[in-house]
Amino acid sequence: MITQPHLDMQHIVKSFPGVQALRGVQLQAWAGEAMALMGANGAGKSTLMNVLGGVIRADDGEIRIGSKAVTLRSPLDATANGIAFVHQEMALLPTMTVAENMHITRFPTRGGLINGKVMEARCNKVLSRLGCGFSPRTRVQDLSTGDRQMVEIARALLSEPSIILFDEPTSSLTSREKARLFDVIRALKQEGVTIIYITHFIDEIFQICERVTVLRGGETVGAGALKDFTPDQIVQLMIGDLDVEQREHRAVKTDTPALRVNGLTRDGVLNNISFTLHEGEILGLWGLLGSGRSETVRSVIGLDPLDSGTIELRVNGALKTVRPSEAQRHIGMITEDRRGEGLLLPMSVKNNLSLANLRQLLTQLGLVRERDEATLAQQFVDKLNIVTPNLRQPVRTLSGGNQQKVVVGRWLELNPPIFFMDEPTRGLDVGAKAEIRNIIFQLAEQRAAVLVISSEIEEMMALCDRYLVINRGQIVKELPGNASKNELMAAAAGAASEGMRA
Amino acid sequence: MSAISAPTTAPATGQQIRNVLLKYGFVIVLVVIFLYLSLATPNFFGLANLMGLLHAAAPLAVIASGLALVVFTGKLDISVGSIALLSVTIGALLLVRYGVHPLLCVLVILAIGAGVGAVNGFLIAALKINPLIVTLGMMLALRGLALQISEGRFITLPDDIRTLGSAQIGPVFVDVLIALGVLAVVHVIHTRTPFGRRLMAIGNGEDVAAGLGVRVNRLTFMTYVISGLLASFGGILSAIQVGTVSAFLGDGLEFTAVSVIVIGGISLFGGAGSILPGLLLGVLLLEMIRNGLTHLGASPYSYRLVNGIIIFVAMYADSLKSRVQTRLKVKRDG
Repeated sequence: MITQPHLDMQHIVKSFPGVQALRGVQLQAWAGEAMALMGANGAGKSTLMNVLGGVIRADDGEIRIGSKAVTLRSPLDATANGIAFVHQEMALLPTMTVAENMHITRFPTRGGLINGKVMEARCNKVLSRLGCGFSPRTRVQDLSTGDRQMVEIARALLSEPSIILFDEPTSSLTSREKARLFDVIRALKQEGVTIIYITHFIDEIFQICERVTVLRGGETVGAGALKDFTPDQIVQLMIGDLDVEQREHRAVKTDTPALRVNGLTRDGVLNNISFTLHEGEILGLWGLLGSGRSETVRSVIGLDPLDSGTIELRVNGALKTVRPSEAQRHIGMITEDRRGEGLLLPMSVKNNLSLANLRQLLTQLGLVRERDEATLAQQFVDKLNIVTPNLRQPVRTLSGGNQQKVVVGRWLELNPPIFFMDEPTRGLDVGAKAEIRNIIFQLAEQRAAVLVISSEIEEMMALCDRYLVINRGQIVKELPGNASKNELMAAAAGAASEGMRA
Repeated sequence: MSAISAPTTAPATGQQIRNVLLKYGFVIVLVVIFLYLSLATPNFFGLANLMGLLHAAAPLAVIASGLALVVFTGKLDISVGSIALLSVTIGALLLVRYGVHPLLCVLVILAIGAGVGAVNGFLIAALKINPLIVTLGMMLALRGLALQISEGRFITLPDDIRTLGSAQIGPVFVDVLIALGVLAVVHVIHTRTPFGRRLMAIGNGEDVAAGLGVRVNRLTFMTYVISGLLASFGGILSAIQVGTVSAFLGDGLEFTAVSVIVIGGISLFGGAGSILPGLLLGVLLLEMIRNGLTHLGASPYSYRLVNGIIIFVAMYADSLKSRVQTRLKVKRDG
């Protein structure tokens, strides 16, 4: 064992307006070892890694690489100091070849022209080191997801880095591709590279990492050799001892099914998803990022394609099999992507609220009755407590929470019997979150069936009557509304290992 | 792992045929139209006519090749026709009215083209104004400026320069060789230099490219400079061919240039397409149809209609192609 850490980050502090993201984080990683960096959402993992990548500058702290103090002002500095990133969202150029993707900022040239031979030779060297079977001339758009990931890694290796950061590298990989990635990581470790491995999947770190550092609330709350930890202990460190506030509402769940889906399957994404959603119920679809939770709701309403599966909706008192495009008309979808779901930012609050229901506001000549439009909009502004100076205010100028309320208001007007909420409060402040939660409770009390997805465990626990745990495109467990935080975390993490064995 | 890296199953025959059609569709169309015109008209298939056809296509090819670099990044420059008119008008006046040396005139013309391109590039890359709006404004303003300078009158070039326009080496017009040379250079820039590859990277997605360290603004600026430069160069070829500079020089040229780019299989979304053979085939197809329609005795006004239809067909093929590709990709990802 080498005693000197190759990478030593001490007392890293970073604050953003209103948020202290890092409060003196400490991280040490050794050459030839993989260090798992764990933490719940908002623990400061990304901020810390952005500091290391030179993307943002820390307010305070010291970074030493190989006992030399370094200053990382830009991503170029990071590269020069032997740090390379393998990103979660792959930054690839699909219409270009593998070789071009790897060399885009550092083409070998001769007389101003690209030296194709040198470029391909360099690629081949790295690709064969990774055990990749494809040619450097293959276009990235023709590669599978796993191979694309390999291109990303190959690009990182091209600069001969001594530290490689893997950010959620397996979230879109099949188990075979994952095994291959782990082989690559093992080989890199043998060559003496320092690996920092970020993931949500606790089982993975026990397969590939020697050490672990756990962050919570911008602080290092645990670090050491992984063999000294159990998965439960790590989960405990990640979530802390805080108890969740009591559930905020009285369950009004009924046993009348409003939606029943059966065997939803899309090759490689969703695997035989079946569940029933009842009137007045708030059902939580609990899973980690990339587990297929968003894909599930998207495919029910036809935003994503489906290979097989049936969808039944309660229409006029009886369950009826419908196509996704029909389901879309009965299901209100609210996501964090307010612009994507059709909020027209430059238009007024009034216009946004009335848009879905313009037909009812028309005169015989087909003109909008403005007075009725204003009345209708005012109703929703009052009901949802939308804070806006007047109805003509452009939606763009409202706060995120109020924008989200406008989206909800638009759906309320259509009064769908079912709501899907995918991260409905992401990016909102605490007060706005609570208000949106209250609206969700009201919907359930009026017997709407609500399916909620959130990355924030506290929010799920405050809202849900029942949980479905989803992992790698499969529903792996059902938990009652009074499940504890530990149970939920363990289900998502433990489920990951079950998924692995399958 | 090769099982994963290569498509695991051979595509069905129907799909294969479709892929071939999508890939070589325009070559097939080109050949069919060529054969049809050769058989249906007495004079189309003849050395003189074919050489004339290439001759007429030369300025367009030069201008479109500069514009293609802009299109590779997913942007557009519709000011090329007006850049050609303005720069050549000024150059011709210097030559005819002030007796400036022809070579110096050429340099002035090219400098104006590059200069206007630089303004375009600055407005787009530095001030982040929408490219279509910037170049639309330029298109209108420069044409107005040029007409004001020339007072709308014809500027007839001196005879010794006019004869250059029909200079031939063997049966081939000199400007055809020049245009081919320009295409070859632009092709090499596109395929063999870091600059060209990075343009394709920008066309794949500005944010991704920027994230990788590609200097998006600088390269965008440079494409507009080159586009302006080649627009004025194409304008020179065109003016010398006709022997005069009139208000009609470069009129509608921006749209013809965009047409040949689209027909040549260069995606307006950026990141896809080629100069050789793509753009060249596009130029040939359009010019052949223009030439053929005359031989068929069609009304000269029908040309625009046919041109429009071809653009629609080409755009449809483009979107069809990207849709088929997305579907294949989804399947492979699964």
